[in-house]
Amino acid sequence: MRWQILALGVTMLAAAPSRNVAQTLPAGYVGSQTCMACHEDIYNAFEKSPHRPVDVDAKREWAGRACESCHGPGQKHAESGDPALIRDPANLAAGAVDKICLTCHLNEPTQIGRLQSSHAHNQVSCIDCHKVHGSEPLVTRKAAAVNTLCANCHSNEWAQFQRPFHHKLPEGDMTCVDCHDPHGSIRPVMLQSFAGNDPGCFKCHGDKRGPFTFEHAPVRFEGCQACHEPHGSANARMLTRANVRFVCLECHANLPSAPVKVMGVVPPAFHDLNLPLFQNCTVCHQKIHGSHVDRNLLK
Amino acid sequence: MKALLIFAVGLPLLAQAPATTPAPAPPGTATSVAAPATTTDAPSPVPSTEPVLTGWIDLGYRWSTGVDGSFDTYRSIINLGSGPKLLGTDFTLTDPKHRWFDTIQVRADTWGDEPSSSMHVEAKKSGMYDFNADYRDFAYFNFLPSYADPLLGTGVVLDEQSFDTRRKIAALSLDIRPGHWWTPYFGWDHDSSGGTGATVFVSDGNDYPVPNTLSDSTELYRAGVRIEKPRFHVTLEEGGTTFKSGQSLYQNPQGSVNYGNVSAPILGQTLDLTNLLAAYGIGGSSTYTKALLTANPTTWLDIYGQFLFSQPSSHVNYQQTDAGNLYLESQVLFYSSEQNLIAASSQQPHTSGSFGAEIRPFKRMRIVESWLTDRLHSAGSSAGTQTLLNPYTELPLSSLLATTLASDYSQEAIDVFYQATSKLTLRAGYRYVWGDASYVFLPPEGLASMAEEQLRQNIGVGAATFRPSQKISVTGEFEGGTSSGVYFRTSLYNYQKVRAQVHYQVLRSLSVSADFTLLNNQNPLAGTNYDYSASQESLSFYWSPHGKIFDIQGTYSRSDLKSNISYLEPETLTPQLSIYRDNAHTGSALFDLNWPHGKRFAPKLAAGGSFFISSGSQPTSYYQPTAKLWIPLGKHATWFSEWQYYGYGEVFNLYEGFRTHLVTTGVRFMP
Repeated sequence: MRWQILALGVTMLAAAPSRNVAQTLPAGYVGSQTCMACHEDIYNAFEKSPHRPVDVDAKREWAGRACESCHGPGQKHAESGDPALIRDPANLAAGAVDKICLTCHLNEPTQIGRLQSSHAHNQVSCIDCHKVHGSEPLVTRKAAAVNTLCANCHSNEWAQFQRPFHHKLPEGDMTCVDCHDPHGSIRPVMLQSFAGNDPGCFKCHGDKRGPFTFEHAPVRFEGCQACHEPHGSANARMLTRANVRFVCLECHANLPSAPVKVMGVVPPAFHDLNLPLFQNCTVCHQKIHGSHVDRNLLK
Repeated sequence: MKALLIFAVGLPLLAQAPATTPAPAPPGTATSVAAPATTTDAPSPVPSTEPVLTGWIDLGYRWSTGVDGSFDTYRSIINLGSGPKLLGTDFTLTDPKHRWFDTIQVRADTWGDEPSSSMHVEAKKSGMYDFNADYRDFAYFNFLPSYADPLLGTGVVLDEQSFDTRRKIAALSLDIRPGHWWTPYFGWDHDSSGGTGATVFVSDGNDYPVPNTLSDSTELYRAGVRIEKPRFHVTLEEGGTTFKSGQSLYQNPQGSVNYGNVSAPILGQTLDLTNLLAAYGIGGSSTYTKALLTANPTTWLDIYGQFLFSQPSSHVNYQQTDAGNLYLESQVLFYSSEQNLIAASSQQPHTSGSFGAEIRPFKRMRIVESWLTDRLHSAGSSAGTQTLLNPYTELPLSSLLATTLASDYSQEAIDVFYQATSKLTLRAGYRYVWGDASYVFLPPEGLASMAEEQLRQNIGVGAATFRPSQKISVTGEFEGGTSSGVYFRTSLYNYQKVRAQVHYQVLRSLSVSADFTLLNNQNPLAGTNYDYSASQESLSFYWSPHGKIFDIQGTYSRSDLKSNISYLEPETLTPQLSIYRDNAHTGSALFDLNWPHGKRFAPKLAAGGSFFISSGSQPTSYYQPTAKLWIPLGKHATWFSEWQYYGYGEVFNLYEGFRTHLVTTGVRFMP
């Protein structure tokens, strides 16, 4: 078998010089046509790939040898058929894989949040999500497929979406990428941003954006997740607590936390929590995300 | 009648030739997580110079058996209804001559009085343009009496904070000359909502549930240019938003008297509301600037930087007239009618920036240094005039209030990555977070008119990634932080985060993965005594035996949350403990069965679903089993039928449980 591969490789090498491209190849390179001889399925898929311009655009550095732009010079591999003599990104450490991809793709706006990205921090490489050779887009755009891709690693988060109150990801109406930027973001937990630097939540919840005359500080300083479980919850409105009053009372505790001060520890309001009227604070304090007209967020 | 409809639709299709078109995964089912993302190439088109259309469209009909239990809860969680549906479509139009476009792709899901509908269009011509359009429509219905019904004890079942609205979201983007070194681009985003609901009109001594109408819309316009050169990239974008919102509360002027949530008399008088009209007129706008930079000046250095500035502003006119027997607590005054006019405005300059570098001093080492800042300063003012009338007097009241909310947040982080071997990468990092926040009311009122706090945190990080072969990868990460100042009692104070993930390709046909997360957070300071602990573990598998006609995937997840924090009971000022517990089991599975191809019919069956069972502060059960059958009817059509069951139950609010069966049948047409 090894001899057969070798013979095939030699045959391809012999055929290669007949091509104009091959005649100008640097030393050690064999050109994409040579790769096709053994890897025809990959080559054919690559022909439909968004990466194809790398192989055909003369302005780019890798015309006629796109395969070797990522896999490195292929002459030794083509001559021997030995997989150990070609660079296979699937066998490299994530940092090394990213270095290959970023050789061309670093200088793109998608990479701007990379240093803040937990993907980059945790050795999730580009090819963990992107299909380099495929005839489909480099990464799927279909909602269900996007969510499946993310859930392959984030199975804990996906389980949270099986709770009754959740954003509509299992239904395929939203994707993880609607809220998170997988390449990284200036905001915490790789949250998407809206209108420059506001949290991406406001893209769909524009009525909560404000600015308000009377702000509710946690909305600005800690974000929606100060009170909500955005992935899913057993509590109505995806709240962090089953009873609304405890969402509020855990901060508005009427009890200063000396010696370190904290915000929102308001003086007693003398509400009798035994009465149903006061068991959901938002019955009266309904503008809990901020009010334009009332300092106590009553209207 | 329904059976006749099925027969009528199915009969002509049964006459068609069989096909072996692979059936698609069931949309909308509880997706298990271990399945690798797969793509299926469209069949090669016949060489032609005419545009070629490929794809499919699903048309069908859904029946509901009716909801057993709370229909309002069903609508709040599921909200699927009966009727004819466009269940989905996905097609691609390809122009071999590349005249006006290379490809146009259209996807749409669930149209026809559905709780959510979407449509996406992508059109592109290489080197010329790239156009995307996205539209989504969500119904938001929320009516859960357990959430906000102070009158539940009197037998009135009403969620006084309920909604029946629809939200529409649209986005258009156009990139000119994609792939060239400079690319101008344009975008427009739209978000609007409208509908009705119930809310509360709050007055001294009582509050009155009333109906209301809601509407809001946001438009975002943006334009920019991307400059991409081999050594650097710059993106410059300028954009702006407009916003308007209106909410109206009303009480029928000729209707019955609204006695509100408080039935107890005040000073011998019963309060009521007989007439109300309150309206908010809210407008807003903002501009923003975005500048992004990446560069690799040398082989060992990458640089990243971004600057973001936005300045949204709002202006509001609020008008309110009401009548009844009402009460002003500060002056112990009963009045019969009121007019309240408030004008307010606010603005919020917001500056964010980051700068960082990845330095590779040695072959095996990378050093990542980054600095980030976020500065948000909000200022608002309001002027109000309130006139109270009763048969004996007219009392004018005026108010002028100003507020500021400011936050200056910064963080500095350094991470070192060391590739110990080709299979093991280690990471160590340190992050310092600091910030100052303040909130001021003028003129001061009470004790909560001013707050100034500081944020100071030291955070250490350690992580390792081990990939001994392509078959197995193990990632572990630990983050621990200590604080000398935080903004809120429930903020992360002294905390530890752990995350571990394992993926193992046991066989070519079998993969297993596990995910573990843990968060401990303690704030031991007197008066807080916050003790929070949350952990979750998941185990997933995907088994697709080669040569077999089935595959199966599943996930099981266990989570545990414990939270204790002290507070003072507002009425009695006695120390209390807020205790929250949530112990949950979650599972999902999907079983696919493909009958062997080559026979007249090659049907496919998919069955699975998910369950969620929890105990603790909100014991809940939620079941979503499903099964779907596809039967090819010919080269161009596949018949499918799906059964779904939804069962929801709460231990503390039994009346909010529901159960229902849904059956959907339809045909997929393929050109």
